[in-house]
Amino acid sequence: MGLQAYLLLAGALFAIGLFGVITRRNTIGILLGIELMLNAVNINLVAFARFNGDPVGMVFTVFTICITVAEVALGLALVILIFRVRRTVIADHLDILRG
Amino acid sequence: MSLEPIAFAALAALVLASALAVVLTKNLFHSVLYLALSLTATAGIFLTLDAEFLAAIQLLLYAGGVVTIVVFAIVVTERLVGDRITQTSRYLVNGALAAGALLIAVWGTVRSVPLPVARPPLPGDVTRAIGQALLTRFVLPFELLGVLFLAALLGAIYFARPDE
Amino acid sequence: MTDTGALTLTALLLPAAAFLLLAIVAPLRRSGRPAAYVSVLFAAGALSSAVRAWAISARGGYSLWLWPWIPMEAGPLTSVGVLADADSTLMLVLVAGVSFLVQLYSLGYLADESAPSLGRYYAYQSLFAFSMMGLVLAPNFVQLFICWELVGLCSYLLIGYWYRRPEAARAAVKAFWTTKAGDVGLLIGIVLLYRQAGTFDFLQLLELVDAGALPLAGLGAITFCIYLGAVGKSAQFPLHVWLPDAMEGPTPVSALIHAATMVTAGVYLLVRTAWLFDQTPEVLEIVGWVGAFTALLAATLACVQSDIKRVLAYSTVSQLGYMMAAIGAGFASVGFLHLLTHGVFKALLFLGAGAVIHAVGSNDIFAMGGLRRSMPQTFIVFLVGTLSLAGIPFFAGFFSKEEILGAMWAGGLGIPFAMLALAAFLTAFYMFRVVFIAFFGAPAAAGHGAPGGHGAAAHAHDAPASMAVPLWILAVLAVAIGVGFAVRHPEAEFAAPAWLTPLAVGLAVAGILLAWLTYHRRAVDAARLSGAFALVRDAAANRFWLDDAFLAIYRGVILGVSRLVGWIDRYLVDGVVNLLSAWALGAGDRLRRIQSGQPQDYVYGVALGVLLLIVWFRWLG
Repeated sequence: MGLQAYLLLAGALFAIGLFGVITRRNTIGILLGIELMLNAVNINLVAFARFNGDPVGMVFTVFTICITVAEVALGLALVILIFRVRRTVIADHLDILRG
Repeated sequence: MSLEPIAFAALAALVLASALAVVLTKNLFHSVLYLALSLTATAGIFLTLDAEFLAAIQLLLYAGGVVTIVVFAIVVTERLVGDRITQTSRYLVNGALAAGALLIAVWGTVRSVPLPVARPPLPGDVTRAIGQALLTRFVLPFELLGVLFLAALLGAIYFARPDE
Repeated sequence: MTDTGALTLTALLLPAAAFLLLAIVAPLRRSGRPAAYVSVLFAAGALSSAVRAWAISARGGYSLWLWPWIPMEAGPLTSVGVLADADSTLMLVLVAGVSFLVQLYSLGYLADESAPSLGRYYAYQSLFAFSMMGLVLAPNFVQLFICWELVGLCSYLLIGYWYRRPEAARAAVKAFWTTKAGDVGLLIGIVLLYRQAGTFDFLQLLELVDAGALPLAGLGAITFCIYLGAVGKSAQFPLHVWLPDAMEGPTPVSALIHAATMVTAGVYLLVRTAWLFDQTPEVLEIVGWVGAFTALLAATLACVQSDIKRVLAYSTVSQLGYMMAAIGAGFASVGFLHLLTHGVFKALLFLGAGAVIHAVGSNDIFAMGGLRRSMPQTFIVFLVGTLSLAGIPFFAGFFSKEEILGAMWAGGLGIPFAMLALAAFLTAFYMFRVVFIAFFGAPAAAGHGAPGGHGAAAHAHDAPASMAVPLWILAVLAVAIGVGFAVRHPEAEFAAPAWLTPLAVGLAVAGILLAWLTYHRRAVDAARLSGAFALVRDAAANRFWLDDAFLAIYRGVILGVSRLVGWIDRYLVDGVVNLLSAWALGAGDRLRRIQSGQPQDYVYGVALGVLLLIVWFRWLG
């Protein structure tokens, strides 16, 4: 399959992830959406690496995966903390910064 | 009849279907499981791209590690039963709009440019190439990654510590 | 020094130095009498320089000292300096002389003032002397105008010297505003003249006029505008209303500024630019008619006053009308002559009145009486002044007054001539009315109109030396001038009819006779006399409703315009600003709702932004 197919796949996955981020009320649900978006980025990177014949793109992907892992860990730690304080994980209720 | 397009199509369908399931399922635990499925299918996509090392990493870290973490978080916050999406009608429209528009924009951009179909040859052992790149050309980011993990570790421990 | 330019410059700068000294060195000024001595000393120096300058200038020629002031490419726009010729040095002597005598007199008159106030008074006096001399010696219209305004300022400061009195403060403001109305005209005239001629300088303008190079179109408007300045400053009708109220100032100030010098600045201006006005005879005719009318109007008003200073004030207005009338008839030198003689005897009269007021404690002539016996010296000098003003031969005013009447006749202005003749009769009448009431008869009973006097008229005494010396000097001068003219007639520019001198003397004697009969002999009942002219008398009592007219204009027009402008400022100008700020506040209030606190909204925003960027670069970039 040509590069186009992979890019279209990544684009669709990214859109689905965005939909999830915007629509989910549960904070953990939002994080899952973010996961999907990052996954789409990874597909993109690897596809370009393959079609340019340069493994640098894959190295980049290694980095993004690692950073994503760290981010998820911290994000979930924050969610647990908020749950402890506010007894809720619903994003709508976390609006202290309202203008 | 090459096997490759069929494999790709199947895997792509799996990725997208399970992704949709992630964002649409009411039950959060199910969402996580679907996410695991999606990530695994993505590993398959990586295999079709001759990126074996990345496929392995994907399975190890993503499908294995991240999903585990999320499950633990869900258990801690005791929200196994998710909320009904239909209650967030406001965001539903917005989200559909934004996602749809983005999809159209990206697809339009991608399709408007001729993109290569033929795959150039990769340097022999990809894994070896990645490893060498990590320890020579990208050694600094590699080390910084270690620092990042340390910081993340400390942060996570600090945040999740029990109240005194 | 034999250069009149240097001498006049010295005379000009000495009072300036005195003023600067008193203004800057506050301890000196606040010490009172030492400040006075400094001012008087410098004034004496100025007088001596002025006299020497005149002695040299009287032989003819002139001296011009200039310093360029506002630079432009083709030579300076205007300069400052002195122009010393026969006229200006003579006027300078009058200014310096009366100024010195008045400052000397003030040492006695204002002896009861507190030291800081006295120092302030002498600072103002020195400033005035400098300003007036600067005006007299001005070589161009710009310096003239600047000194003109400075003189007006000094008048304001000195009228309002006792600023704690509301009447004095009001009078000072009234004087300033009324003269300002005329000053606007003067400024417009000067600017228009510059546009026409390209220069402010008197000598250059004179050359242009002599060469016939000054275009006549629009010159009438220019000279009329310049005349307006004189109308204000020299109290011509209808801007004469400030002069009687200006009597709120100390009497020496009235003598100096509102008799001899500042009010004559208008007359002096017309004399100085007579060569310009000669080009516009129609304006001169207006000057003549207005002058004659002013003279008559003020004379009638003087007949009904009981305040001695107001009588003299209206008398001054009347005499200024005489001077202007003469100029209007085309004989400016005659008017100038009367300016000089009037300066002497009017100052004398004011200072004499000051002595009387100082002794009796009141301005009201009906609170006086019998002062002939209690203040004999004052009586003599006051009588000398009165005879001069009435126009009796061998006294200063006779010759100049007769000349004016002759000039009116020669200039063909018949009705103004009649007005001036009638005014001459009235002048003699009202002055001797004052003399007979105040100096003859019995002293007024206790409590009659005098706030501080308990029959003070009976206990009055002659003035102290500091006041008496200037009085005697002026009196001697008045007689000397009168005798001098009688002995040596300067040749007239016109042929006076033979019946003129008897007419002039006859009018004066008739006026004195009527006053004697009415107020001394009581042969004519004053009430019935005034009843015969009831209409005029009542109108005069209301000052012909001119003040009311001005007040109505002020309230109606000026205040109305001010309120309109204020409304525009508050609702339109401020309104625009307030509207803009209200918009900003409203917009901010509504925009803050974007900050919902929901992170998903923010993500949505980010997504929109990314979309926009894609669209932009893809399809519009």
